[in-house]
Amino acid sequence: MRALLSRRPPARAGGRAGARPGEAPRRRLDPAAAVRAGAVLAAAAGTLVLPLWLSAANLTVYILTGLYAVTAIGLSLLMGYAGQVSLGQAVFFAIGAYTAAVLSLHGIPAAAALVAAPVLAAAVAAVVGVPILRLRGHHLAFATLAFQLIVLSVISNTAFLGGGLGFTAIPALGIGGAALTSPRGYAWLVWAVTALVMVLTLNIIRSRPGRALRALATSEAAAESAGIPVVRYKLATFALSAAYAGFAGGVYVFFIGYAAPDSFPVSLSVELVVMVVIFGLGSVWGALLGAVGISVLVQVLTNVGTLPGMPEYMPTLLSYAAYGVILVLIMVFLPTGLLPAVRRLWTAAARRLGGTGGKADSSQAPAPPPAAALARSLVSFLRLSSAKGGGKPPEQTRRQ
Amino acid sequence: MSAFVEYLVSGIALGCGFALLASGFVAIFRVTEVINFAQGTLAVLGGFTAYSALTSAGLPQGLAEVLGVLAAGAAGLAFGWVAVGRRGTPPLASLVITLGLAVAAYAAEIAIWGDQPISYTALPGGFVLAGAHLLRQYLLVIGAALVALLALGVFFTRTYVGKGMSACASNRFAARVVGINVRRMGLFAFGLGGLLGGLAGVLLIPIQPLSFNSDVDLAISGFAAAIFGGLRSFEMALVGGLVLGVAESMVAGYAQASYETIVALGLMLLLMVWQARRRMELA
Repeated sequence: MRALLSRRPPARAGGRAGARPGEAPRRRLDPAAAVRAGAVLAAAAGTLVLPLWLSAANLTVYILTGLYAVTAIGLSLLMGYAGQVSLGQAVFFAIGAYTAAVLSLHGIPAAAALVAAPVLAAAVAAVVGVPILRLRGHHLAFATLAFQLIVLSVISNTAFLGGGLGFTAIPALGIGGAALTSPRGYAWLVWAVTALVMVLTLNIIRSRPGRALRALATSEAAAESAGIPVVRYKLATFALSAAYAGFAGGVYVFFIGYAAPDSFPVSLSVELVVMVVIFGLGSVWGALLGAVGISVLVQVLTNVGTLPGMPEYMPTLLSYAAYGVILVLIMVFLPTGLLPAVRRLWTAAARRLGGTGGKADSSQAPAPPPAAALARSLVSFLRLSSAKGGGKPPEQTRRQ
Repeated sequence: MSAFVEYLVSGIALGCGFALLASGFVAIFRVTEVINFAQGTLAVLGGFTAYSALTSAGLPQGLAEVLGVLAAGAAGLAFGWVAVGRRGTPPLASLVITLGLAVAAYAAEIAIWGDQPISYTALPGGFVLAGAHLLRQYLLVIGAALVALLALGVFFTRTYVGKGMSACASNRFAARVVGINVRRMGLFAFGLGGLLGGLAGVLLIPIQPLSFNSDVDLAISGFAAAIFGGLRSFEMALVGGLVLGVAESMVAGYAQASYETIVALGLMLLLMVWQARRRMELA
């Protein structure tokens, strides 16, 4: 964990190290980087201002979007960088939510309960991860899903955890006497945390552990032989992604004031996977965009589904159709996700227009933009894990 | 004693259903190396279609059930066409595609059949064995599953397509070299998986009502049973199904019904971790 959190600058990451916002001095103004920094600043400002205008219902969506974004960013680190599939990520959201709920209902200050939520989620991930992360590919996918179902079942059967009905009347978040009750306050808190998580994750990716993760996603054996502590890094990433989800779950339970096993269904895990995959696995910005895009889409569909005259189950139906169809279309036609596809089109267009324009130049620089490179690493991960998956059977056949 | 017999027979019936689901996983995985996450969905589709054919169309029992199985087979073929039809789709991407198909199927199922659990009585009445009162449907499930699995064995060893699929399972490249269309065999495998899933659904729906989202439980039970044979052996899938079914039924009978998922899933996790460790030691 400590290794992952230490921000070590990339020793010699390649020609484009100058594009990092942290290294403003002693470099010529790179127009692409300036545009990117401007876009990030504008998005941040928009995020800050938006809660002032949103209606109460939309503000709830806004807050939940931020919580999903935090969880999706963690899942993106786990799936896109470390190459470990989790179909049960919502379980850590649930563990965080229940930790915060149980502690605050037993008289622990809400702020302390909120700190405990990610800690316990990470601890559970670290313990469960030891056996589970030995599994690969589809085995890991089913194992994480099974783990979520087991935890939900245990919660439903434990009176101490509220059983199947869950907890209500969970106190609001607060420090000392001041309680955070206004949705607007939650909105700012959630998106501040999202920004923090974003910065932390981007730093991890650009540091030595981040490169190690990409290496082990491509080939665990090769990474191991290059001296990367594969098991420890996988476990640390699993725990960190669980901590993100646990924190989001903690904030969720204080905001909603209610927690039951049904609040964290398997479809929430699937939703998180859709968010991470749609814009491109292996891009943290993609996970953020995916969380925002899917949340907005689902809200629009819910609005359509609750129009007068629609049957009661219409909102559920529409959102299931949206997840399913989007997931299938993306995985069949753009397995690397939307972002890399757009980037490819953009580069092609720039090359056709300007010959050796700045854009075309940057795409040929030694280290390509992170998103594209990582999307590529995902493709190679998928391919390799397929080769790996295929590696077992041939072994067996050879022995027969 | 009579309670024990009751739990045992109902567990065996349930286990036969799991074994059919597991055989679907195995049939598809052996040929394509893809885990069909929508295997539970196929069972639900089969059961629902049989229900509609029985109640709305008023077809005779047997015909309605055959129709349900065939509908699931067709759905399996369609799922396969999406999941492995495109050349060069990596298996893990195919897993995510089948996951997407399962979720998309939710929408269709809710639109057609609503979101409430569905069941119907297939074989009414019961009988008494060693003092235990048992449903006759249990015998139907056990008999049909055993016949289906035997037929599967004959199919893989005696028919041309079956032999082709076994060839792909044993070595895809060599199969291609001798002129077998590996992609088409993959599609056939998905169709076969659909038939097996549909049969499981048709047989199980009279015992336990299914709703659109029962597919996760069915899929994970089938996967757990298939894990017993490392996803490659039909015989071990049958053993796995029976072990899981009887274990669940005993836990539900003697302890508490709500613990059965915990036991079944825990068993699956232990087995997978043990297999992974053994694989590591062998390597």
